[in-house]
Amino acid sequence: MILSLTIGVLVAGGVYLLLQRSLVRIAFGVGVLSHAVNLFLLTAGVPAYRGEPLANRMDPATAADPLPQAFVLTAIVITLAVTVFLLALAVVGRNDDTTRMPETGEERDR
Amino acid sequence: MNPALLPLFVAAPLISSAITALVPVRALQRLLMIGTPLATSVAGAGLIAVHRDESVLATSIGGFPAGIAIPFVSDTLSAVMLAVTGLTTAIVLLFAVRTGEDHLRFFPALVLMLLAGVNGALLTGDIFNLFVFVEVMLLPSYALLAMTGTWRRLGVGRLFLVVNLVTSSVFLIGIGLLYAAAGTVNLAALAGAGADDSVVLGVAVVLLALIVKAGAVPVHGWLPRSYPATSATVMALFAGLHSKVALVAVFRIFSMVFGEDGRELTPVLTALVILSIVIGSWSSFGENTIRRILSFQMVAGVGHILIAVALGSLAAYRAGLIYMVHHILTMGVLVLAAGAVEHTYGTGHLVRLADLLRREKALAWIVGLALISLVGFPPSSGFVGKVALVVAAAEAPAVTAGLLIGAIVLGSVISLMAMQRLWHDVFWGPKMTLYRPRSAIHLKRDESKDKLVPLPDSVRIPLADLVPAGILLALSLAFFVGAGPVWDIATRAVQDLVDVGPYVEAVMSR
Repeated sequence: MILSLTIGVLVAGGVYLLLQRSLVRIAFGVGVLSHAVNLFLLTAGVPAYRGEPLANRMDPATAADPLPQAFVLTAIVITLAVTVFLLALAVVGRNDDTTRMPETGEERDR
Repeated sequence: MNPALLPLFVAAPLISSAITALVPVRALQRLLMIGTPLATSVAGAGLIAVHRDESVLATSIGGFPAGIAIPFVSDTLSAVMLAVTGLTTAIVLLFAVRTGEDHLRFFPALVLMLLAGVNGALLTGDIFNLFVFVEVMLLPSYALLAMTGTWRRLGVGRLFLVVNLVTSSVFLIGIGLLYAAAGTVNLAALAGAGADDSVVLGVAVVLLALIVKAGAVPVHGWLPRSYPATSATVMALFAGLHSKVALVAVFRIFSMVFGEDGRELTPVLTALVILSIVIGSWSSFGENTIRRILSFQMVAGVGHILIAVALGSLAAYRAGLIYMVHHILTMGVLVLAAGAVEHTYGTGHLVRLADLLRREKALAWIVGLALISLVGFPPSSGFVGKVALVVAAAEAPAVTAGLLIGAIVLGSVISLMAMQRLWHDVFWGPKMTLYRPRSAIHLKRDESKDKLVPLPDSVRIPLADLVPAGILLALSLAFFVGAGPVWDIATRAVQDLVDVGPYVEAVMSR
C-alpha cells in the first residue's frame, strides 16, 4: 500500500515536471518518473521483504525474485545515459525560462 | 545453419561500429558503414532460404535453461525484415555519402549502432530484451537527430527524446504488469496467455507504448514534427527502421499472446486504423514542404499496416507485411528524392520550388512513379499492398470490412489529391528564379548567411544523388513484377507468425 502510494506520488510529480517548459525540469521529471517505474517493476516481484537471491546460498523459497531486479538495473543504466544526454541538450540549448516559446524550430521553417 | 550464429546480427554491427569510431580512415569507415547493412541483408536473405526447410531457428544467450534465458529467434518474418531493413539502410547510407554527412565524426558509428539495435529488436524473443534493443536503437537516433547541427534540430531533438523517454517508461510499466501477471516476459512462454485478463492488461500497455513509437493516430503528433526537421538521410533511416521495428514487434506480440482470439481489441484497433489512414492522408494536404507531406503519409501508412492486427487473420498479417515492405521502399524513394532536391536547390518548400519537370527529367520519373506507388496504382508495390489489404479486409465481418475498405479507398483518394498538389507545386508552374546555393543539409550552416540568390539555368541535381532513390524505386517496381514470389514468401512468413507451435517448441527445447 505504501509502495503503491509512493509510486503514485512519484508519477504525479514526474508528470508535473515533464509538463514544465525548462529542459532541466523535464530531465528531473524523467528521473522521478523512471524512479516510479523502477519501483513498479520491483513490485512485480514480491513486494514484501525477502532474502538476497544468491545461488547456492539461499533457499529459493525465501529468496527474492532476481528477474525484476535485473530489469530495474538495466532500466537504471538506460535512464542514466539518457538523462546525461538530456542535461547536455539543456546546456547547449537556449534559456527556456526567459525565451517566450520553447525552441522547436517550427516557427522559422524554411 | 547453426542457430548460435544468430547473435552475430547484433555483434557484427556493434564491432564495426567500434572500429569506425576508433579508426579514422574514411575509406574503411565508408566500407563498414555500407558493407555491414548489406551483409545483414544478404544474411537475412540466406535465412529466408534456410527457413524453407526449418521454419524456426532459436538460440539461448548465456546457456541458461529455456524459459529463463534470453532467446534469439529467427523465422521467415524476422528474416524478411532483416533483409529489407538491411538493404534499405545500405541504400540510404549511399545517399549519406553523397551529401557528405558521413564526414561527421561518429556518424558511421552511430548508424551501425542503430542497425545493431534494429537487428536485435527483430530477432529477440523476450519482451524486456525487446525494450533494451529498442533503447539501443533510440540512443544513437537521439545523437543523429542532434548532430546535424542547427539550433532548430536540437529543439526538435528534444521533442523526439522526451516523447520516446516517456513512452519507454510506459513500456516498462507494461512489462512490470505483464511479469506480475504471467511470471515471465519470454514471448514463447506467453503463447496463448491472452485468456488471462491481467495478462491482457500488461500486453495492452506494452502495445500502447509500441503504437506510440510506431506513430499511429491519436499518438502520432511527435512524428510529423520531428522527422521532417532532421536531414533527409536521417529521416529516411528513421522512416525505414524505427516505426517498422515497433510494428513488427506489435505483430509478433499480438499473434503470440492472443492467437486467433484477441478479438475484443478489434473495435479499438479498427478505430485506430481508420483514424490513422484518414487523418494521416488528410493532414498531408495542409503541409508545405515535401518531407512534411511525406511524414503525414507515414502516419497513414502505419494505419494501413495495423489492419493486420485489427483483423488478426492470416490474410491480414500477410497484407500487413507486404504493405510494410512496400512502405519502406516507397517512403525511402520519396524521402531520398526530396533530399536530393534539398541538396541542390536548398529548399523543400512547395512555394519555392517550381518547374522541376523541365529541369529534372530523371527526378520527375522517380518521384512520379513513387507517388503512384504511394497512392496504390500499378505498376508499383503500392498496388500489390493495397490489393492485399482490401482482399484481407473483405474476409472480415460485414461492418468491419465495410469500414476498413471504405477507409482504405477514402485514404487513397485523399492521398491522390494531396500528391497531385505536391506534383503541381513542385514540378509545374512558372520558371523557378531563386534558390539557396549551399545545400540545405550542409553541415554547420550559418543560417543567417544563406540567402536566396538567382538560379542559373545550368543548375541540375547530379545524377549520382538520384541513384539511391532510383535503386529503391527499381526494387518497388520489381516488387510489382515479382508479386507472385513475394506473395509466397509473405505467406510463409505469416504462417510462422500465426502458427505459434514451431516457434514455442524451438525456443523451449533449447
